[in-house]
Amino acid sequence: MDESVIISNAFHHAPWGTPITIYFWLVGASAGSFVISSFGWVFGIKRYKPLALTASVMAIFLLMIVPVLLIWDLGQPWRFFYLMLPGYWHSTAPMAWGSILILSYPVSMMVYSVFVIKGNVTWARITGILAIVLALSTHWYTGVVMELNPGRFINHTALAPLLFLTGAFISGIGGLLLVLWVQNFFRAAEKRISWTLMSEMAQYMMYGIVFDIFLLWLEFMQTLYGNEGEYMGHDVVLMNLFSFPYIWLEAVIGLFIPLLLLVSPIKHNKVVILAASAMVAFGVYGMRIWWVMGGQFIQTFY
Amino acid sequence: MNRVRFMAETHNNESKHHHRDYGIQTPGTKGVPGTKRYAMAIDLRKCIGCMSCVVACKAEFGTPLGVWRTWVKTADKGAYPNTTRVFMPRLCNHCDYPICVRNCPTQATYKHEDGFVLQRYNRCIGCRTCIVACPYNARHLVPEKRTDGNLPTLVVDKCTFCIHRVKKGLLPSCVQTCVGGARIFGDMNDPESEIAKLLAKEKVTVLKPSLGTEPAVFYIGGDFEIMSENKSYSNRTTQLKEEFNTFKRQHPGDAFGDIVEGESTMYWVKKNMVDFVAEIPHKASGVGKIIKKLIFG
Repeated sequence: MDESVIISNAFHHAPWGTPITIYFWLVGASAGSFVISSFGWVFGIKRYKPLALTASVMAIFLLMIVPVLLIWDLGQPWRFFYLMLPGYWHSTAPMAWGSILILSYPVSMMVYSVFVIKGNVTWARITGILAIVLALSTHWYTGVVMELNPGRFINHTALAPLLFLTGAFISGIGGLLLVLWVQNFFRAAEKRISWTLMSEMAQYMMYGIVFDIFLLWLEFMQTLYGNEGEYMGHDVVLMNLFSFPYIWLEAVIGLFIPLLLLVSPIKHNKVVILAASAMVAFGVYGMRIWWVMGGQFIQTFY
Repeated sequence: MNRVRFMAETHNNESKHHHRDYGIQTPGTKGVPGTKRYAMAIDLRKCIGCMSCVVACKAEFGTPLGVWRTWVKTADKGAYPNTTRVFMPRLCNHCDYPICVRNCPTQATYKHEDGFVLQRYNRCIGCRTCIVACPYNARHLVPEKRTDGNLPTLVVDKCTFCIHRVKKGLLPSCVQTCVGGARIFGDMNDPESEIAKLLAKEKVTVLKPSLGTEPAVFYIGGDFEIMSENKSYSNRTTQLKEEFNTFKRQHPGDAFGDIVEGESTMYWVKKNMVDFVAEIPHKASGVGKIIKKLIFG
């Protein structure tokens, strides 16, 4: 029997586009950067204290761009405050959780930064703990906001928050290393962040890359051995239409090449560290593309 | 014991904790005595593909070009000379457990106690989360331009099962106008209703039953070839594929995430962002007008 051919159907748009992919990347890099900031003041690793403020300011700055993307992406931008209004706020909606987190996370980081500037160890630690919980929660939310849709086969996986958090950790470190490198040009010699410390951070990034590759492998296996929809997502979306962001941008440029660089004998070389950082920060954005836009692709034809 | 009966019995035993009644939605009411559960059965053996339901719906609601509350999917089956054409009308499934309702951040969409899944335009912020959540593609963002300027724009809209007609004792417009009598509508919990009798007699199926949404749109004589989501993508004719691509190119929309097949994915990723940025001044002027109106009247 010949298969049928679909000769007419309604056209549908994929509802979320590039602004959402950028937003997911920004929140991740912000959370990753803040984790490094907390090393010194929250976890007591003193050698990280000099870069805590830079990392925290970078995390705040990245998050400040988010409202521009989110509010103007709405059909009714002036109604954005409905997300926080009692009587409107919907407790079962992941986006409602996110609206609270996106509001409270930068505030907590700002308060933490004030105590870091003042050198108040106790309050920097207390507010730092709160901010780090909010940082992780905010990025966890970006993972679940699409995960909790059983109809989106590529996104409907419990690995989503872990994939996002690991990507956040490595892209945050990558971005921070680049910022610290630039910042060193403008700092007095005695205040510069040492390459030994930056090299150590690059090694943390390497561990994160290994874990991210492991998670990506699990996701790959799930789609390959998955149900009809998951396999379709694997075959048509990931390996075909979105193969550039999935295979090249995320896996090759963002994970495998940086991994090879950071385990090689030249792993402490400045250029190697900076190149790996840039590739990781850029590569993680590839994951945000296939996750958001690829996850919506097939269903638009249903 | 089937699922509907199981749910009815657990409800009778007041074991409400078995129900996924989270969000602003009434618990599932399929088969629950003493409640109403409006549903639609579509007898695909009777559908002739005249599209009068689509036209009636468009006329009833002034639905703009490019978006649909109901539409009819069509497929050709077999090889000459043994061929047939099959149709499948589509609309919101008014699920007993709608994913869109639990995911709406502003309580704009909700489930009515009689089973209708409805949209409150005054609460909708146009975030499109419900469109992402809906497994049936039954929702759309209303375009900015529509014929009647008094109707809402840039909010999410969907089929309402014509609640405004049903509450006055009328049938939904698509049912009223169906020349083949393929669409049957009514309270499936009323054993004397036409739909309840039909559901008891015929073999029916629903779309994506594994998702647990408990759709209230039932199909009689459904064909896997046209009901499959994957085949809807992979078995399109070249002409339909090109029509869809043309549609995407000509309707950039409001920062949608469309990708045109056969063209660079990264080009469309960039284009989406350029379209988004280009629209900000226009949206900002709209916000400015609203603020001005609020302050100066």
